Amino acid sequence: MEAIMNVNFFVQLFLSTIRMATPILLVAMAELYSERAGLVNIGLDGIMSMGALIGFLFGYMTGNPVLGILAGALAGIAVNMIYAFCTITLCAEQIVYGMAINIFAPALASFIYRAYFSDTSTVVQGISMKPVAIPLLSQIPIIGPLFFNHPVLVYLAYLLVPVTAVFLNKTKAGLNFKAVGEYPKAAETLGVNVIRQKYLASTICGALAGIGGAYLTICYTSTYSEGIVAGRGFIALSAVIFGRWMPGGVMLACLLFGFCDAIQIRLQLLSPGTPYQLLQMIPYLCTLVVLVIFGIKKSGPKANGKPYFREER
Amino acid sequence: MEEILRMSNISKQFGEVFANKNVNLDIRKGEVHTLLGENGAGKSTLMNILIGLYQPSGGEIYLRGKKVSIDSPRTAVKLGIGMVHQHFMLVEAMTVFDNIILGVTHDKSFFINRDKLKKEILELSEKYGLDIELDKEITEISVGAQQRVEILKALYRGAELLVLDEPTAALTDIEVQGLFQIIHKLKEENKSVIFISHKMREVLEVSDRVTILRAGEAVCTLNRDETTGTELANLMIGREMTPSIYEKKDGAEESVLELKDVDYHKNNKHNGLNHVSLCVKKGEIVGIAGVDGNGQSQLAQVATGVLAPEDGSVILKSKKVTKFSPKAFIDAKVANIPEDRNKMGLVGNMSVEENLVLKATEDDRFSKGKGFFLKKKAIHEYALKLQKKNDIRCSSVMQEARNLSGGNQQKIILARELDENPDLMVAVHPTRGLDIGATGYVHDCMIEARDAGCGILLISADFDEILKLSDRIIVMFEGQVMGEYSGKNPPIEEISLAMAGKE
Amino acid sequence: MKTKNNLIKILIPVLSILAAFVIGGIIIVCLGKNPLEAYGFLFKGALGKPSKIAQTLEVASPLIFTGLAASFAYKCGMFNLGGEGQFIMGSIVSIVVSTQTGITGVPAIIISVICGALAGGIWGAIPGILKITRGLNEMIVSIMLNYVATLFMGCVFTNILRDGSVPQTPAVPKESQLSNIADGFRVHYGVVIAIILAVIIYYFMFYTSKGFKLRAVGMNPTAARFNGFAVNKIILAAFICSGAVAGLGGSIELHGKQFRLMQGYGAGFGFDGVAIALIAQLNPIGTVIVAIFFGILRKGASTLQAGMKIPTSVVDIIQALVIVFAVAGTALVRLPQVQQFFRVHFSGKRRGAES
Repeated sequence: MEAIMNVNFFVQLFLSTIRMATPILLVAMAELYSERAGLVNIGLDGIMSMGALIGFLFGYMTGNPVLGILAGALAGIAVNMIYAFCTITLCAEQIVYGMAINIFAPALASFIYRAYFSDTSTVVQGISMKPVAIPLLSQIPIIGPLFFNHPVLVYLAYLLVPVTAVFLNKTKAGLNFKAVGEYPKAAETLGVNVIRQKYLASTICGALAGIGGAYLTICYTSTYSEGIVAGRGFIALSAVIFGRWMPGGVMLACLLFGFCDAIQIRLQLLSPGTPYQLLQMIPYLCTLVVLVIFGIKKSGPKANGKPYFREER
Repeated sequence: MEEILRMSNISKQFGEVFANKNVNLDIRKGEVHTLLGENGAGKSTLMNILIGLYQPSGGEIYLRGKKVSIDSPRTAVKLGIGMVHQHFMLVEAMTVFDNIILGVTHDKSFFINRDKLKKEILELSEKYGLDIELDKEITEISVGAQQRVEILKALYRGAELLVLDEPTAALTDIEVQGLFQIIHKLKEENKSVIFISHKMREVLEVSDRVTILRAGEAVCTLNRDETTGTELANLMIGREMTPSIYEKKDGAEESVLELKDVDYHKNNKHNGLNHVSLCVKKGEIVGIAGVDGNGQSQLAQVATGVLAPEDGSVILKSKKVTKFSPKAFIDAKVANIPEDRNKMGLVGNMSVEENLVLKATEDDRFSKGKGFFLKKKAIHEYALKLQKKNDIRCSSVMQEARNLSGGNQQKIILARELDENPDLMVAVHPTRGLDIGATGYVHDCMIEARDAGCGILLISADFDEILKLSDRIIVMFEGQVMGEYSGKNPPIEEISLAMAGKE
Repeated sequence: MKTKNNLIKILIPVLSILAAFVIGGIIIVCLGKNPLEAYGFLFKGALGKPSKIAQTLEVASPLIFTGLAASFAYKCGMFNLGGEGQFIMGSIVSIVVSTQTGITGVPAIIISVICGALAGGIWGAIPGILKITRGLNEMIVSIMLNYVATLFMGCVFTNILRDGSVPQTPAVPKESQLSNIADGFRVHYGVVIAIILAVIIYYFMFYTSKGFKLRAVGMNPTAARFNGFAVNKIILAAFICSGAVAGLGGSIELHGKQFRLMQGYGAGFGFDGVAIALIAQLNPIGTVIVAIFFGILRKGASTLQAGMKIPTSVVDIIQALVIVFAVAGTALVRLPQVQQFFRVHFSGKRRGAES
C-alpha cells in the first residue's frame, strides 16, 4: 500500500497519462478536422500504421527523429490522399473506404518492413526523441517534470488543441471549414470551394494521423512491430464523439483514455498475479463504458459522412 | 431600360432528358422579372446554371453586355449575382452573423473582425428594411426571418441581380406582404430581381415582365400590363386550363379518427402539437391548412402511429389506441402518404414490385409457410396488375424505384396504399413537386377513395389544394387548431388570417 | 439494363483483381524477381494438385464464415467489424465444451458447434443492443469487443486452460475432430457446411419475407419504420445472426483445422471477412467465391516464399489492393458523369441496332 500512496507514484501515473494520451490526441484531432469538413474517416488505424512504419524507418536511416516524424506525416498524407480521392472525387462511401484503408495500409506497412529488414526475427532498434526540458518551468517540483519535460511532439500535440479551437471559432477560414461539414451546398453557393476544403481537411487529417503513428515508434517505443497501433484509431474516433466535436472536449476524452492505458501498465507492475490480458482490456472496456454513458445523442456535423455532388438533381 | 443579363440558347441535359432546351432570357436593370412555369418546367435548373452550380450543356451568358463564363458559384458571387434558394442555404448550427459572413472575401483579415462586420451588416439591413437579429442561431428564428437573412446574405456580397426561387412558398400572407415591400425597396435601389413562382396572384402583383417556361423551353416573355392571369395560366400549361371541380360531401356520422387534446412537444419550439382535437369521419376529406412547420408533420405522424403523443388520446374507429406503432395503425387499415416520398415512403434501391408489396410481404397472397417464403411469381403478377391499373411508367417493374420521376413514385405509393381499401388515409403534401398531370391523378385517386368511404386527413401547405379537395377545413398555427370551416364556400379571408395566427 | 448492371457487378471485382495483380507484379519486379514466374508458383501452389486444392479450400473455410457474417450485417445497413471477436468467442466456448465436459465424438461436435454459434451470437448482440438502445456507433463497439475477445482468449490459453508449459490450450480430442471429406485430402467437412450456409443465406435474403425486411431496413430504415417494420428488432436480429455465423466459423475452424487456441488464433479473419464481403458486393454466393480466391492467395503465398524467397506479405498487399480498387470501382460506376457516359454509349448502340 505504501508504494501506492507515494507521491512519486502519482507523478509517474500522470506523466504516463500525458504521454499515453498524446498519440490518441494527435489522431483524434486528425479525425476532428476530417469530420468537421464532413468526412468520417475510420481508416485512422491504417494511416497510423503507415506513419508508424515510415517514421520509424526514416528515423532509423537518418538518425534524426524530427525527419522521422516529418516522414511519418508525409506517409500519412499519402495514404489519406487515396481515401480523399475515392471519397471526395469518386464519392465512394466513406465508411467502406475507411475500412479499405484499414486493410490496405497495415499490409503495405508490414510488407515494407519485411522487405527492408529481410530478417524479421530480431527486433530492430530505431531512434527515440529525447525529452526537452523547458528552462525554469521544469524546475518546479512535481509540476515541472509533469508538464515541462517532454519530447517536443508532446508539447505540439497539446498546443494543437487551443490552436484548433481558435481556428474553428475565431477565423473566417475556420468558419468556411465548418460550413462544409454542416451544409456543403450552402457553402458552395457562397463561393467556398467545397472540394478544396475537403482535400485540405484530408491533408491535415493524414498528416496528424501519420504523426500520431510516428509518435508510437519514435517517442513511445523505439521499435516497430505489427499491431503497434492496437486500435488507437478507433479509440480516437470515440474520443471525437465523446468530446462532442470540440477540441477541448476531445482533449479531455483523450486524457481519460490515456489514463486508462497508464493505470493498466502500473497495475501490471503492481499485481503480477493477475493475468496481464485482463488489465490490458481496461482501455477498451473504458472506451465502451464511456460511450455507453456519454455517447447518447449524435450531434456531429450535419453533412458528416455524406458524399457531395454539385450537380445533384 | 438598360439590359443587365442575357441568357442565350441555354441548354442543360441530365442523361437523355433536357431540363432546359435553347432557353433565352433577358433581364433589365431595376425590373422584377418573373419566371413562370409548373414543377419540372426547368426554372430551378436555369437559375442553378446562372449561379454556377450547374454547367450548361450549351448556350451563352452575357452580363452587362459582356460574355461571361460562370464556372462556379464563386464566380457568380463575384459578378454580383445572388440567389435565395427555395430550400434555404443556411447552416443551422451557426448564428445569423456567421451565416452572413460565410465565404466573404472583401475583408482580408484572418480573424473575424466582429464589430466592424456587424456594423456593415446592420447598416445594410436598415437600408433595405431587413429586420434581423444577428446573434440568434438559425434554428431559433422564424422562416420569414430566415428568408431575410438569405436576402441580406446576397446583398452583403454586392448582388446587383437577385434570384428569388419560390420565395412565398413557406410564408404567411403577412410575411408575403413584407417580402413584396423588400422587393420594391430593391427596385428603388435599381437592383434587378428574378422572381420564380407559379402562384398567379403574386406574379401579377409583383412583376414587371413575365417569362413563361414549359417543359424546359421558354414559351414567351410578356409585359405585366399587357396580360391576364388566365392567359399566363394557359401558356404555362400549354392548353386551355379546365380546372376540375370536385363535389363537396358531408361525412357519415361514424368517425374513423378522433384526436382529443393531443400534445406533442419533443424538442420543438415552434411546432409540436398543443391540445389538438379533431375528427375525421367516414367518407370525407378533412384538409389541414397552415404554413409549413406549424405542427403538421407531427400531426401526420401521430395519426399514423409513428409518434406517440405525450398526452391526450387518439381514437381509431371508436377504439382508443394504446400502442403507437406504424404496424398497429397499418393493421387498423390506416394508409399513409408521407411527406417525403423518397425518405419515408419508398425504399429507393428496391424495385418497383418490391415497393408495391412493401407492407404486405407476410400476407397470404405474397408468401406461404406462415408468411416466410415469398411467392415471387404472385408478387410479380400483382405488380404488373397495379402498374397497369395506376399507369406507373417504368421500363419494368424490376426497375429501381429511385430512378422514376416524382409522379410515378407517388403513383407507386398511392397504388400500394389504396389497394388495401383503407378506412383512413393520411396524406401529407401529396402533390408537392408534381406536375399538373400527376397532381390531377393524385386528386382523382383521393376523391375516388373518399367516395368509397375512406376518411382522409389531407395536410398540405398548398392552400389552393386544400380549398379544392376538402369537405371540411381545419387551420393549424403553432401546433394549435385555430378554427374549423366548412369546405363549401369557405371564408377564404378568414382562413388566411387564421393561418397567420390571427383570431 | 438489368443484364448490363449485372455485368458491371461482376466486372468490377474481376478488373480489380487484375489491377491488383499488375501492381503486385510491379512490386515483385522491384524485388528483382520475375512476376510471371512468381504467379505461376502461386497458382501451382494453390491449385496444382487435387490435394493442394483441398488445402486451399480449408484455408478459405473460416474466411467464408467471416465474409458471410460481415455481409449479413451489412445487408441490414450495419457495419459489423467484430467478426474476429465473434469468431474467437465461438472458438473459446467450443474448446471449453469439447475439452472440459467429457463429451466426445459426433455429439461433442454438434453441441460444441451450437454453443460456439450461440457465443458468437451473444457477442454480436452487444453492439446491436448498444446501437438500438443508446445509438452507439456499431463499428467502434464491435472493434473494442474484438480486442476484449482477443485478450480474453489470451487469458484462457495462458492461464485458465493452459496445457503444460506452452501457452496454448489442450487440443480437441481426436474423436471430436471434424473428419476430412476424403482420405489423403486435408479438407474437412467445415467447407461443405460453409457453402451450404452461403446458399441458405442467399435464399433467406432474396426469397423470404424476413430477408426482404432485412434488406429494406438496410437500404432505408426510415421508410421501413413508416411502413410498419420493427426496425430495431430486425437490426438486433441481424447482429445476432451475423455474430452467430462468425462464431460458428470459429467453432468449425477449431474442430476442423486448428484444434487448439494459441497466440495469433483468428487474427485478421474479421477484417478479411469485411473485405471479402465488400468485394463480393454483399452477395452470399459471391462471398464464397471471393473467399476461395483469398484462400488461393494465402495458400499460394507459402509456396511463393519457399520457391522464390518472396515474402508472403506481397499477397497481403494484393489482397488489400483488390479491396481498394473494388470499392473505388463500385463508387466510380455510380458517379453521375460515368452513368451518363454509359447511357450515351449504350443507348447509342441500341439506336444503331434499331435503325
